[in-house]
Amino acid sequence: MNNKIQTSSQLARRDFLKVSSSSAAVFSLGFYMPVKATAANKSELVPEHLNAWIEIYPDERVVIRYARVEMGQGSSTSAPMILAEELDADWKQVRIEYATAEENLKSKRVFGDMSSVGSRTIKNSQEYLRNAGASARAMLITAAAQTWGVSESDCLTSMGTVIHKPTQKKLTYGSICAAAAKLDAPKSVVLKDPKDWKIIGQPIKRREIPDIVVGKIRYAIDTQLPGMLYAAVAACPVFNGTVKSLDASRVQNRRGIVKVLNLNDFVAVVADSWWRAKEALKEISIEWETGESAKLTTASIQSFLKEGLQQTQLAVARKNGDALGVLDKSAKVIEAEYFTPYLAHATMEPIVCTVWIQGDSMQVWASSQSPEATLATAAATAGIDQTRVKVHPVQLGGGLGRKGAQDYTKQATLIAKAVEGKPVKMIWTREEDIQHDLYRPMSLIKLRAAQKPNGDLDALHIRVSAPSIFTSLLKMPLNNGVDGQAVASLNDHPYAVENCLVDYAQRNTNIPVGFWRSVGHSQNPFARECFIDELAHEAGLDPLAYRLQLLPASAVRDRAILTKIAQAAQWDKPLPKGVFRGIAETEGYGSWTACVCEVSVNERSEVKIHRVVIGIDPGYAVNPDNIQAQLQGSVVHGLSAIFWGEMTIKDGRIEQSNFHDYRMMRLNEMPVVQTVIAPTGGFWGGVGEPTQAPLGPALANAIFAATGKRVRSFPLKNHGFSLAKA
Amino acid sequence: MYKLGNNNIQRRSLLAKLGRLLGSTVPYVGGGLATFASGSSDAQGMYSGTLRSLPELIDPIVKGAPLFKTRIRIEMPLLADNGNLVSLGIKSNLPMTQNEYVQKIYLLSQRNPVVQMALFYLGPWSGDANISTRVRLAGSQFIVALAQTSKGEFYYDQFDVIVTESACVDGS
Amino acid sequence: MSIARLQVLGDLREGQIVRIRLLIQHAMDTGYLQNISGQNIPRNIIKKITCQADQFEIFRVDPSSGIAANPYFEFSWRVSPAKILRTLWVDDIGVEGELLTPIDVKINS
Repeated sequence: MNNKIQTSSQLARRDFLKVSSSSAAVFSLGFYMPVKATAANKSELVPEHLNAWIEIYPDERVVIRYARVEMGQGSSTSAPMILAEELDADWKQVRIEYATAEENLKSKRVFGDMSSVGSRTIKNSQEYLRNAGASARAMLITAAAQTWGVSESDCLTSMGTVIHKPTQKKLTYGSICAAAAKLDAPKSVVLKDPKDWKIIGQPIKRREIPDIVVGKIRYAIDTQLPGMLYAAVAACPVFNGTVKSLDASRVQNRRGIVKVLNLNDFVAVVADSWWRAKEALKEISIEWETGESAKLTTASIQSFLKEGLQQTQLAVARKNGDALGVLDKSAKVIEAEYFTPYLAHATMEPIVCTVWIQGDSMQVWASSQSPEATLATAAATAGIDQTRVKVHPVQLGGGLGRKGAQDYTKQATLIAKAVEGKPVKMIWTREEDIQHDLYRPMSLIKLRAAQKPNGDLDALHIRVSAPSIFTSLLKMPLNNGVDGQAVASLNDHPYAVENCLVDYAQRNTNIPVGFWRSVGHSQNPFARECFIDELAHEAGLDPLAYRLQLLPASAVRDRAILTKIAQAAQWDKPLPKGVFRGIAETEGYGSWTACVCEVSVNERSEVKIHRVVIGIDPGYAVNPDNIQAQLQGSVVHGLSAIFWGEMTIKDGRIEQSNFHDYRMMRLNEMPVVQTVIAPTGGFWGGVGEPTQAPLGPALANAIFAATGKRVRSFPLKNHGFSLAKA
Repeated sequence: MYKLGNNNIQRRSLLAKLGRLLGSTVPYVGGGLATFASGSSDAQGMYSGTLRSLPELIDPIVKGAPLFKTRIRIEMPLLADNGNLVSLGIKSNLPMTQNEYVQKIYLLSQRNPVVQMALFYLGPWSGDANISTRVRLAGSQFIVALAQTSKGEFYYDQFDVIVTESACVDGS
Repeated sequence: MSIARLQVLGDLREGQIVRIRLLIQHAMDTGYLQNISGQNIPRNIIKKITCQADQFEIFRVDPSSGIAANPYFEFSWRVSPAKILRTLWVDDIGVEGELLTPIDVKINS
């Protein structure tokens, strides 16, 4: 693995290490002293806490805390790997345990931010994790050196052992952990040079795989508690509607039905089994107060977005030179509009939340990407003090960005309040889940460009008309009126152009929007990289050559990943007859990604994907096995959305409800996926989401090469394309 | 920050400002990305305004007068589930007599677009200087309650709040 | 037109300290958000609230956009003889509000 550290103009390697070791404030190990456990019996060992993150047992076991959420993205393995690296632990001895939200609260956030969002677990925590590992290692060295009466500088560590170089004396971590735990953490540490990494960069299998394989894994939905009740809920199918009246007479006295609750925004049925609750809910007639939203249709929203494109007062996301002026004067302007629809997350595990209120305390088992948000919401909704709330860490059956919001926590807590001290597990049906999602926003993007004779860009104007997630969902003010996600990859595109304008028309509707895996990068690179392809075609140039021509020399990483993917796909070699290809590249979440798709399209518009070559430069590749899985997985997730994904709206309601009309890819449709992991070092980029970004445009570009038909909207099924069996 | 000590020392946990610090100072070693109005996808946080420092908040008001970090306390949940409605309490045991009383209490934000969230006017008629209200927070930050007494002295407290936000910032 | 509520907690006896709870219905539009059509909702917040016991001001606050919608304040008052609590407020666009709360103060004889 190429771990060459790239010295950039902004941060030299020396400075990077200095920053890590001396910025004491970031160097938080915040010692949180749990109540020292006493062994239940003589054979049970008690661990020594070297700091909040690391416990070492006398029998060499090393417990590393993981303080985020595991939803299949694998960071519960990668993050501890980073700690273990600096600690120089023997990975075989490492056990990974969750840190909890209440521990974080009690210790004034010693574990930092616990939410798993934004592909930034590794990126944002690597520094303090490495510091924690290095600090503990330093304490172990000090303890060993003191034991031997030697100088620390003569000691080194390897695989859970401190070694005195001159004499080759050894002491295992387990044997000195007690002595080390008594020491103070060092004021500064020296982190390892990436070329010395032994654990980071290894394709270590995810920790929960054995449990998943044998069916032992427990997801939030598997929570079982004594005396537990179950709740099925229905919110108004027209968004923001409320309950006008309900008639539960048919089910009120039915066997097993405990309560029927009218909670204004939604109706809940509590029963002794979920089946009974769900079936009873179906037979309750609910009259909803729907309001204006009932008039919304897909068409009405689309024309609303189209109006946005014609606005004059728009928020400017990027402005260099005078794009509008140059375009006005240009003899030839290439113009295109790209459209992407609303998408639902449809995580395999639907929304589920279990709440148990007992007097002035409560416990929550939620399928949530942010345990701290769950804690805060549950406490606020129940009126219980935050210090009396326990949020149990659970494995999520997928998050994909839906589960950062806490609407379900609020619902489950309201239900729990009504059942006097009994635990209640609220599960959404698949229909409820799909129809009450926080959808990837619909977006209409208009691009216009003028080219110089050699194809270079003279002027580029990109206008986005789309809802704002930050305004609608988070009610956050925008910087200069621009929603960064709505213009992601557009306002920060790397191509050289003197006159560039990127502006944004905010178009919010009552359809709730949220963060769908890769958010703006799930749709904007489609517009951008396909339009670049259109421009290449206009100039009569090869798509790869054109991009390399447009990318300035300073766009080092864009050029690098593009070149790497082209090499891997053998772009310079001619393809067999009937096979065509497309390419795309973009930055996202701090990493650089690229993709080449090779397809054949027959006369029935069946698209056979021969090969997807997809790659990423995440700076440092902590766990290549996991990154490969992310690349492959994002092809599955991405192709499903690209071919069939769309939410259609009628009378203010989402028409889709389950996987029969919100289709997912089948096993026998899975193409060959060739993955390229090309870390160039020197930075820490995200992996969970950016891999989605280049797939759509690469595929659409390949389809153009194959058919001459320029696809400017997803899903492909609306153009008559279908995915051929592999 | 770590006291030297003996074997049985109880180490105090640090007030880890990690969430806020890391959020605002991601060491983005990026090549070729200019800084545009809304920055790269990496920086699409909920940064409304810049993160001000404590002196920046307090100095323009105190202007060199005596300043004490005592006798006034902000009471808030450490975690706010929603930045739009966060309960905030100000508690103080400063005197409220004819001779000496709290005249004003400034409520200041480190990160909101508007620094001064509210300015309260009290007097001996108030009986005590305990106030409750509900505020908006544009993201995780610290809040300062700064009391000015009739004697021209200032007392303050600072409280770090984490806004967990009902959804994710910067992607899924 | 906004609705307001004022509640007095404690013994309304001269010299005692009571708690006063005030809630005013008002959107407190910050000016930073846009409406459903993408147009800016102009800023309109309550910028001054005063509470008087008869003629005498017993509480005043200058809120900003940092105070949440439907502003809520709870403050103390050392009870003095007064017949009416008069709460007045004004917002950015000049709309004024007034809430009159008659009180019955027990005077120490």
